[in-house]
Amino acid sequence: MQQKRWRWLTALALALGVLALGACGDEDESSSGGDTATTEPAKSFAAGSTMKALQDKGEITIGVKFDAPPFGRKDPQSGDVEGFDIDLAKAIADELGATPKYIEALSDNRIAFLKDGTADLILSTMTINAERDEEIDFSEPYFIAKGRILVKKDDTSINGVKDLAGKKVCTALGSTYEETLKKQAPKAKRTLVDSYSECLELIQNGGVDAVSTDDVILTGMIIQDDTLKLVGEDLTTEPYGVGIKQGDTAFKEFVDGVVAAYKQDGSWATSYQKWVGQYTGEKQDPPTMTLQEAIDLTK
Amino acid sequence: MSSFVDLLIDNAGELGRGLWVTLRLVGASLAIALIVGTLVAALRISSKPWLRRLGGIYVEAFRNVPLLVLLAMSYAGLRRAGVPIDVWTAGIASLGLYTAAYVAEVLRSGVFAVSAGQMQAALSLGFDERSALRQIVLPQAFRTVIAPLGSITIAMIKNSAIVGASIVALNDILKQARIINSETLETDEAFFWAAVGYLLLTVTATIAFRLLERRFAIRR
Repeated sequence: MQQKRWRWLTALALALGVLALGACGDEDESSSGGDTATTEPAKSFAAGSTMKALQDKGEITIGVKFDAPPFGRKDPQSGDVEGFDIDLAKAIADELGATPKYIEALSDNRIAFLKDGTADLILSTMTINAERDEEIDFSEPYFIAKGRILVKKDDTSINGVKDLAGKKVCTALGSTYEETLKKQAPKAKRTLVDSYSECLELIQNGGVDAVSTDDVILTGMIIQDDTLKLVGEDLTTEPYGVGIKQGDTAFKEFVDGVVAAYKQDGSWATSYQKWVGQYTGEKQDPPTMTLQEAIDLTK
Repeated sequence: MSSFVDLLIDNAGELGRGLWVTLRLVGASLAIALIVGTLVAALRISSKPWLRRLGGIYVEAFRNVPLLVLLAMSYAGLRRAGVPIDVWTAGIASLGLYTAAYVAEVLRSGVFAVSAGQMQAALSLGFDERSALRQIVLPQAFRTVIAPLGSITIAMIKNSAIVGASIVALNDILKQARIINSETLETDEAFFWAAVGYLLLTVTATIAFRLLERRFAIRR
C-alpha cells in the first residue's frame, strides 16, 4: 500500500514537471511570427546584423533585476517587470520593433548570460568597470549611481562620512562598500550581512545607525520606509552601462544611439522623476560621462 | 603552502579577534546552558505534574525552533517590540537557551539512569527526599552525563558560527574569515584558518571533558 502511494506521487510529480516544461517551450515559439514587415513601420537594418535578426525574430531577451526597486522589480502579484532599467529596455526594444522579454539576471550570472546568448542585452544596475570590460562590451553610461549613506530622518548626528566614526554601519558582505567604508570611515563599526534587506531591517530596528551602498538601492529602501533619508557627499561613483556581447560593434553603436536619444528627448528625465526623483526630491541630469571615463575611474 | 602561512601572518590580528569573540560567546552561552538546563531538568523530574509540564514546554519550544530563527526573533523581533537588546545579549541568550534544552534532556536521562532502588534504599535508611537526591542520586547521575555534555558543548561551539552569520552579525572567527576572503579572494586559506580556530576550541573542550570523566570515573 505504502509503495503504491509513492508510485502515484512520483507519477504526479513527473506529470507536473512535463506540463511545466511544455508551458515554457510554448511561450518562446508562439511569438516568433515574421509579421514585423507588415505591422511595424520599423527601421531597416543591414542584413546579418544583430538588429536585423532580433527584428525578424520579433523578440529581444533582456536580463534585468527582479529584486532591485526602483531600477528593476518584478511585481509579485501581477508579474509585471518595471523600473528605471525597464523603461530604457523598452525604448531599445521599441526602436528594434521587437517585443522585450525580461529574464532575471543576478550579479553573479549576468556576464555569463551575454556570453552564452541567454540574454541579448543586460540592464541590471551594472557598474561599468575595467575588469568587466575585458569580458563584455558596455554602452555609454546611462546612469551614474553614487555611494551614499542612509540614516533615520530624526538622526541629526550623522551628516556625512566623517560622522560615521564610532557608529554602526551596515553593508553587504563582499560588496565594494566593505572596502570603501574601511578606507573612508576607518573608525566606523561595520556590520556586514548577506543581503541589503537585512540592512534595512537593522536600520529600522535601530541595530545599526547607517547603511552604505549605491544610492539606487538606498532609494529603494526609502520607498519602502519614508522615515529614512540620504545624507552627506557621494562616497563613490558607479556608472551603469548596458551590457552587450563582446565584439558586436554594430549592435553597440545601435544601443548607444538609443541611449543618446533617450537622454536627449526627455524620456530619461521622465523615467528618473518617476522612479527616483519623486522619492528623493533630488534633481539629476542625464549623465555626460563617456564610457572611457567610466572605465578609467576604476583603473 | 606558504600562501596559508602568509595569510595568517597578514591577518593574525583579525583572526585572533574573531577567535576571542567566538570564545567569549561560547563561554557565556555554556554557562547559561548549564544553569538553565539544570533548572529545567529539575522541573522535568519534579513530583508536581504542572512543573513537569512547564519543563516539557521549555524543552520542546527551544529544541524545535531553528537557532537561526531564534536569533532573528530575539534580536530583530524584540527590538521591534521596543526592547533595546544588543547583539551580545541576543547572541548569548539565543545560543545559551537553545543549548539549555539539550542539557536538560541529558540531565533528565542521567537521573533516570540511576536505578529507582537507589532512591528507595536511601529513603528506607532515613534520608529525606531532598538529601537522597543530592547525596545519592545526583552524584551517580553526574557521572553518566559528562560524556553527552561534552558532545553538546562541541556542538554548541560549532553552532556559534550561526550567530555571526545571522542578522545578529557578531564578528566571530567565521565572519572574520569571510571578510578576509572577500578582501583577498584567497578562499581556501581564509576558511582553513577559521577551521583551525574552531578546532582549537573543540579539542580543548574534548580534553576538558575527558579529564572530568576520568576524575569522576568509578574505580572498577
